[in-house]
Amino acid sequence: MNRTIRVDTLARVEGEGSLHIKLQGGRVSDVKLRIFEPPRFFEALLKGRHFSEAPDITARICGICPIAYQMSAIHAIERAFGIRVHPAVRALRRLFYCGEWIESHALHVFMLHAPDFLGYPDAIAMAQDHRTVVEQALRLKKAGNRIVEVLGGREIHPISAVVGGFYKAPSKAQLREMESELEWSLETARAAVNLVAGFEFPEFEQDYEFVALSHPAEYPLNEGRLVSNRGLDIDAAEYEDHFVEHHVKHSNALHSVVRGRGSYLVGPLARFNLNFDRLPAVAREAAGHAGLKPPVRNPFRSIVVRAVELVFACAEALRLIREYEPPDAPRVEVAARGGVGQAITEAPRGILYHRYALDTHGMILAAKIVPPTSQNQKRIEDDLREFAAQVAGWPLEEATWKCEQAVRNYDPCISCATHFLRVQVERE
Amino acid sequence: MAALIIGCGTWDRGDDAAGLLVVRLLRERGIEAREHTGDGLALIQTWQGAAEVILIDAAITGAPPGTISRWDGSAPVRGGSERASSHAFGVAEAVQLARTLGKLPPRFLLYGIEGCNFRLGTAASPEVAAAARALADRLSARPNGHS
Repeated sequence: MNRTIRVDTLARVEGEGSLHIKLQGGRVSDVKLRIFEPPRFFEALLKGRHFSEAPDITARICGICPIAYQMSAIHAIERAFGIRVHPAVRALRRLFYCGEWIESHALHVFMLHAPDFLGYPDAIAMAQDHRTVVEQALRLKKAGNRIVEVLGGREIHPISAVVGGFYKAPSKAQLREMESELEWSLETARAAVNLVAGFEFPEFEQDYEFVALSHPAEYPLNEGRLVSNRGLDIDAAEYEDHFVEHHVKHSNALHSVVRGRGSYLVGPLARFNLNFDRLPAVAREAAGHAGLKPPVRNPFRSIVVRAVELVFACAEALRLIREYEPPDAPRVEVAARGGVGQAITEAPRGILYHRYALDTHGMILAAKIVPPTSQNQKRIEDDLREFAAQVAGWPLEEATWKCEQAVRNYDPCISCATHFLRVQVERE
Repeated sequence: MAALIIGCGTWDRGDDAAGLLVVRLLRERGIEAREHTGDGLALIQTWQGAAEVILIDAAITGAPPGTISRWDGSAPVRGGSERASSHAFGVAEAVQLARTLGKLPPRFLLYGIEGCNFRLGTAASPEVAAAARALADRLSARPNGHS
């Protein structure tokens, strides 16, 4: 019997995408995940612009992770110019990133992924029976948002981060004001790990190549070498020697593969498996209580790993706030020089690569951006090829839902292309 | 207290900027209004505690481009279908969730400006730009920004 699993608009993934799986008997004959991504447009838009515009332009690529885009852009340009920032600025950037992780992970764990496991079509239906869970998500997201607001200068479209530092550094008191809410967030995140660890997970493990940043002393956010469980250990400058993007007919996005090997996985599972020993004790303990230890190879368990990373982000934010001493100057003097700079940072969904070629006046000659979702896209299709075969005999609606859930394991940020309101009008 | 006016959208994506265009026009006239990405959870936080909220977003209802639709908080605003949202957790979801949680402001008005072009790198269509001006005129004419 030939059947097709088809989802024209994937729900609960950021942006728009579609999924098409063809089954012939119990065999999967074709998998196409179609996603629409804007980086090519932004790469073209950046060309000919002054370097100082890059953080704000790239932040517009994604409404959910603007900090990730700003951080990768800023670090890449600073590397091209040979700039070293004040240690306090480095700490503030790490705190800034924690804010985005808290916002993004709270949204995905509670509002986008939990309904799959609790058996609801969406978070709104879930809210009727699990009001506390949804209210916790709202409050956690607000705590993350507050960090972004304090450091970014405003609630949305943060503008304060610049090449060389920040326009303005916060006072100690401004950061301390967030402390009690982050203490609540940390406890809530710890409880969330236990809650989601109790969900039922399909038996599904794959032999992944996990790729993440790795730093000798800290769980990675802004810095580190790029490593994998298959021996990769490179600087960001070598990224394009080891990873290559292919255009695939069915999607506007490019598929990224490890040269000579194939698909790979970026994001929470990769970070957790490659950096477990650098998580703070409180996050390691939360993982331990949940029975989670590396390597986690079941992508459906990514919800538990994301919750552990939520614990990490809250604990790390608290540490950074408590240890903060304002820098003498919020930014260093920036002298443009010609050259090329690459950087990789850990967006909530996985590594985000930026490269800029600049002339001696600091004008951008070329830009390249490889977002986490295009790095995971081939891996998602590979998962679906295996997973769809497991559910091929199920009733179509149930199989379709499970396959959608397999896509949501990756928290794909498909484009954030347009956010318009699609409304069904009932005329009387 | 004046109504909290929020315009949702993104620049560089054609008619998606509809809400932002209205915010810009209102600010030029000295009326306070806030830009927003349309992230649903953040919206619920933004309007928390406000007695009256006016939200403006680009919309697709099937009407001609530039048509202004208006819903008040008592009417359901449903997304395209239960599981087919264009954005994971957007404006329609925020309204529904806020209603479920009892967090919808007592007076809530949603204006949708019908869009037709959402291509990257394009400006809003003339119909949407004209509708944004018309809506800004309508909101500016409200006594003290009240409904």
